[in-house]
Amino acid sequence: MNKWRYRSLRDLERTPLDRLREFPREPDMLVCGLRSIVALIIRGLLRIYNRFEIVGHENLRTNRSLVIIANHCSHLDTLCLLAALPLRKLHRAFPTAASDYFFQSVARLWIAAVIVNALPFGRQMRIRQSLSLCQQLLASPGTILIIFPEGTRSITGELRAFKSGIGALVAGRDVAVVPCLIDGSFRAWPKGKRLPRPRKVRLIVDAPRNYRERGRDKKDICAIAAELREAVNELRQRDGRN
Amino acid sequence: MSPKIALHDPVFHAYFWIVLISLAVGGATLGFLRVVLKKDTALMFRTYWSWLAIAGLGLVFVFAGRITTIAGVTLLAIYAFKEFSRASGLYRDWWMTGAVYVGIVTVGIASLVSNPRGEEPGNGWYGLFVAMPALEIALILLIPILRNRTRGELQRISLAIVGFVCIGWMFGHLGFLANAINAYGFVCYIIFATALCDVAAFTFGKIFGRHPLRSEISPNKTWEGALGAFGVAMILPWLLRFSFPFFGAWQLILTGLIVGIGGQLGDLSISVIKRDIGTKDMAATIPGHGGILDRIDSLIYAAPLFMLMVEYYYPLR
Repeated sequence: MNKWRYRSLRDLERTPLDRLREFPREPDMLVCGLRSIVALIIRGLLRIYNRFEIVGHENLRTNRSLVIIANHCSHLDTLCLLAALPLRKLHRAFPTAASDYFFQSVARLWIAAVIVNALPFGRQMRIRQSLSLCQQLLASPGTILIIFPEGTRSITGELRAFKSGIGALVAGRDVAVVPCLIDGSFRAWPKGKRLPRPRKVRLIVDAPRNYRERGRDKKDICAIAAELREAVNELRQRDGRN
Repeated sequence: MSPKIALHDPVFHAYFWIVLISLAVGGATLGFLRVVLKKDTALMFRTYWSWLAIAGLGLVFVFAGRITTIAGVTLLAIYAFKEFSRASGLYRDWWMTGAVYVGIVTVGIASLVSNPRGEEPGNGWYGLFVAMPALEIALILLIPILRNRTRGELQRISLAIVGFVCIGWMFGHLGFLANAINAYGFVCYIIFATALCDVAAFTFGKIFGRHPLRSEISPNKTWEGALGAFGVAMILPWLLRFSFPFFGAWQLILTGLIVGIGGQLGDLSISVIKRDIGTKDMAATIPGHGGILDRIDSLIYAAPLFMLMVEYYYPLR
């Protein structure tokens, strides 16, 4: 007869609030269900309210791990990128969110952990730990990381300089990086406004790249960050011409 | 039950004041221990603050009527089962957990709707309610067959059945009691009495406790505490006789026995599960109490036995 073994969940002794703060999270059936339902509602709202449109959808169709990078000027950006993913991959997609902004107040914490499934990223402190956490996640296939390498929302709508952390994350590693451009989110919901406005929002997805052959020294890392920024910028120029 | 009735119902009014006075007395006692006797009461105060929140929420849900009472009981059962399955590891199996959630919600619905053929008086579909264990076990047994799997399935089946029957169905009787003609008396009494007995067991155990009750199961419980709680439970039906004025002496004694013995047996049963799993509390949901399941465990025996007793002697609805 097989002996019974109880495999209790790891976070048994944490309070519900601490469980939200913890990362990686134990998968929770009710949370995943709620997240899927809310994701469907958000997709519908984006389609109707913001006439949301995706160009280059096929570039996201892969079962391997992905790093999605994009310009950032609005909370809508994260929702748009999540809306571009298939529903079954939603619970393996982690938008990186500033731990000093999203993981402080209870309401933001709840939205970040339950609805967005965000990964707490230390902007000022613990950048190295956050990056190594990202690398661990990417090691298991099917993980999707959503990163805004500008590090914060742009207040002018212009593309800011990319932080070198994105280079350190992908240099010398066999992981696909997908540059994306989100167009219109600045007009729809700029920083500081309470509610989004019904402006058109488009997401343009570029072909994935790979930086497996690049070195990991400082020069290369900064070069990769600059190249990725150029890729996003190019998407905007190409989009402007069409 | 509805807010309009609750506003003019003498039984609900009485319980409102009883709960308020009990909490005030409890707070005053703790304050006395802290200020005059200089005892370390930090942990007890943490438990006490949580009691305030529990009492407040409980009164609001009962005040708001039958539907919210049943919905509240169902939510508590869902959350308590979640804690049980997280602790026992069943939670990793989404099919089994989902099946039990469906069962618990169905128990709630059976307490809420009336018999569609109109063969029962009042609200609540008692036929479906009492048949739920059979239906739910059938659903749970179906899952391994659909998955075509055997390895470790008996453990999952057993955990799911224990979880559903104890937490979803036995505790779910509390929701069905809200359909009774004398709903305020029954619901308020059974919740208040089990809560008071828990506190009494703790207090008597703290003051007189010498002899361990079940040393292997729960090292902190003592015979002195258990007997003290039993004494309180036996006196309480007479003191709160207004909650069920039609009860005779025999029914009052039975009520006392059900709360005094059943309440503590429920507590011990959950302790058995916790000890075997190897955890102290099921979760850390309520500060100072542990999980929701650690709070409602005394009702697992008391609620169904009390309802069956009432159903046997009087028309419940």
